Amino acid sequence: MKVIAIYNIKGGVGKTATAVNLSYLASLDGASTLIWDLDPQGAASYYFRIKAKIKGGGQKLVEGRRGLDDAIKGTDYENLDLLPADFSYRNMDFFVEMTKKPEKRLNKLIKPLSEEYDYVFLDCPPSISSASESVFAAADVLLVPTIPTTLSLRTYKQIKKFFKQEHYDSMKILPFFAMVDQRKQLHRLIVEYPPSFMPCVLDSYIPYASEVERMGVKRAPLGDFAAHSRAAICYKSMWEEIKSHFYPTA
Amino acid sequence: MNNKQLDLVIPVDQGLSELQASFQNNFYVNVLAETVNYRVFYDTFDWLLYNNGAVLEVHEEEQARRIYWRADKDSDLKIQLGLKQVPQLASDLAECEFRRQLTSVISVRELIPRIKIKIKRQPLVVLGKNEKVVARVNFDEYWYFPSKVRAGIVLGKRITIKPVKGYADEFDQVVAFFLPLELRQAQDNILKLALAESGTGTSEYSTRLNLFLDAEMSAEAALKQILLRLLEIMLQNSAGSIRGRDTEFMHDYRVSIRKTRSALTQINKVLPQGIIAKYNKFFSGLGKLTTPVRDLDVFQLKLESYQRDLKQAAQDQLQPLRDYLAQSRAEAQKKFVYTLKSPEYRQSIKEWREYLESPEPTKPPLENTDKEIYKLADELIWSMYQLALEEGNAITDDTEAEALHELRKTCKKLRYLMEFFQSLYPASRIRELIQALKGLQDNLGVFNDLHVHRGILKRYIKQSTDAGANKACKQVMNYLKHRQVKTRHRFAEHYAAFSSPDNQAEFKDMFVDSH
Repeated sequence: MKVIAIYNIKGGVGKTATAVNLSYLASLDGASTLIWDLDPQGAASYYFRIKAKIKGGGQKLVEGRRGLDDAIKGTDYENLDLLPADFSYRNMDFFVEMTKKPEKRLNKLIKPLSEEYDYVFLDCPPSISSASESVFAAADVLLVPTIPTTLSLRTYKQIKKFFKQEHYDSMKILPFFAMVDQRKQLHRLIVEYPPSFMPCVLDSYIPYASEVERMGVKRAPLGDFAAHSRAAICYKSMWEEIKSHFYPTA
Repeated sequence: MNNKQLDLVIPVDQGLSELQASFQNNFYVNVLAETVNYRVFYDTFDWLLYNNGAVLEVHEEEQARRIYWRADKDSDLKIQLGLKQVPQLASDLAECEFRRQLTSVISVRELIPRIKIKIKRQPLVVLGKNEKVVARVNFDEYWYFPSKVRAGIVLGKRITIKPVKGYADEFDQVVAFFLPLELRQAQDNILKLALAESGTGTSEYSTRLNLFLDAEMSAEAALKQILLRLLEIMLQNSAGSIRGRDTEFMHDYRVSIRKTRSALTQINKVLPQGIIAKYNKFFSGLGKLTTPVRDLDVFQLKLESYQRDLKQAAQDQLQPLRDYLAQSRAEAQKKFVYTLKSPEYRQSIKEWREYLESPEPTKPPLENTDKEIYKLADELIWSMYQLALEEGNAITDDTEAEALHELRKTCKKLRYLMEFFQSLYPASRIRELIQALKGLQDNLGVFNDLHVHRGILKRYIKQSTDAGANKACKQVMNYLKHRQVKTRHRFAEHYAAFSSPDNQAEFKDMFVDSH
């Protein structure tokens, strides 16, 4: 089982759209896939037309008093399940910190799912906190959507710095450019010549596209209603690139 | 609570479309596009996966090809992500859990596509509140394809009801709809059905002779039966030997040739001398072609264990040797394939089969032609056993390696005779005698392999100018020499078991006193 977290301190960079589209593509490969909507806003749950609510609240789940499996819902797509968000996730830091080894909490919760799932996608809320640290420890890959702007690059540097300080494996971090607007010179420039502190930035990038916004209207991944759109093709190529990190000899 | 998928069998005479229409009238459904997919089941020539409860299947869909693996009957079928094609051999895979599991079942055997099934599927999704998918129902028809050119044979129709997590009640409602139809729950998987339809036996292949000779039949009739069975094994293994990657095909092919020659020359004065001379020459020629291929196969398989004690740098320096072995093997294989594909070979095999199948007795009969087989079997085994004892007793710590080689050949002849005539004797008693012989043979076999492998290394060093490789080879040679000495030391222990008074008495009782 591979755990892929989609994370950024910043909000509005396309984390949920990425988690939804990539998990959908993983399920199309025939891989048994789970997406865990960790964001109390519940956008991923909304996209999959599943109520953002956990029976009994999020605390029981995080503390392990309720099995994750009971809370999982099947989406409309074969091989793709979702662990919905809950508004109580706004207190996720508190839930995690209340457990014995907070940094290992998420890993402990996810581990039993390895028999059933090939991929677990974590759609993370925008913050840096105890819960985020638990994500860093649990993830095999941390996908960081980054808008090619000065401020976003600065945020990316902060994440890298934090990883170094706290001795997390920075090899896990895979940044990629998201919401790229080809009309903007700065965007074009940064995508073409990524800064030296992003040596492992993915070749694939996601353009700024109205189809991505329509996901909210259709409440479905791009592949379901606009499979041939540019953004859908870009997600597809990104998914192939990510897989090549897992299966280099394939 | 999570439900399990339910597979229901539809009687062949019942139409799927009426059932589907009735279902659609009762549920709010979305009818998805019909699909036609193929499922190809891979296995080894001798069905090692199937016989061990493992499954390796490829799902060929319009735009995707997926490989699924189940290690044993208690595991679930899991997709092998990152694998684009089925490996021919387990060793073709990079180190991973799948490779480890596959190796434990098939060892060095080759995977080949065995059974192909076509599935026409009409998928339906059951919708709940807000048009959310709450259950999946597939109406499937299955066909089995016996070959590329033959039309498919209908295997059956099934309905699969798949739960969607978190919607247990909706799943139960769908199941309840089908309950009154009293459909049988599918017990057999599709592969099992296809195997039954194809008439393929998954336990049919064996290198054992499995002959049931009548004690009073003539030696000629018995010998022809033995030789025919050996020919059958040879032919079963020729295509795989020609393909050349699965070393077991060549092994079984070669052993059946050796046994054929042994039967021809040991069970003497039964068939006309002209026949013996002609086919002994033919099979001897074939055997010689297989020797370098097999020797190199065994050496390549063993090299990994031989080099284990070497430092990594020295192991790396053996690469030119590995290349040399691969090239030498390819050259030897080429010669072998050339012969097996020749019209002369095919003609000889055809004539040999015709001769063995001919009911015409040898005229005039030779000394042993009409002898009752049990008498001849007793004589031959007893006399070969005596020869083995004579040669074995003469071996001391100072005896040259050639004497051990001679004893190895004699033991092999004895073993073959005992296997040819196994059905004439009480099963458990002869099995025990063969077992005692096997212990000695293993010891002599290892000794001989080490001798042959040192010879290969010597030949390599002689023609190589790579100082690093030669140095590493000499280290391997020293290791082999050391092992040869150790193996030689253990000879006495194995021989003592084989020549023990009890064993000798048992041989005498079975082959001299019993009849």
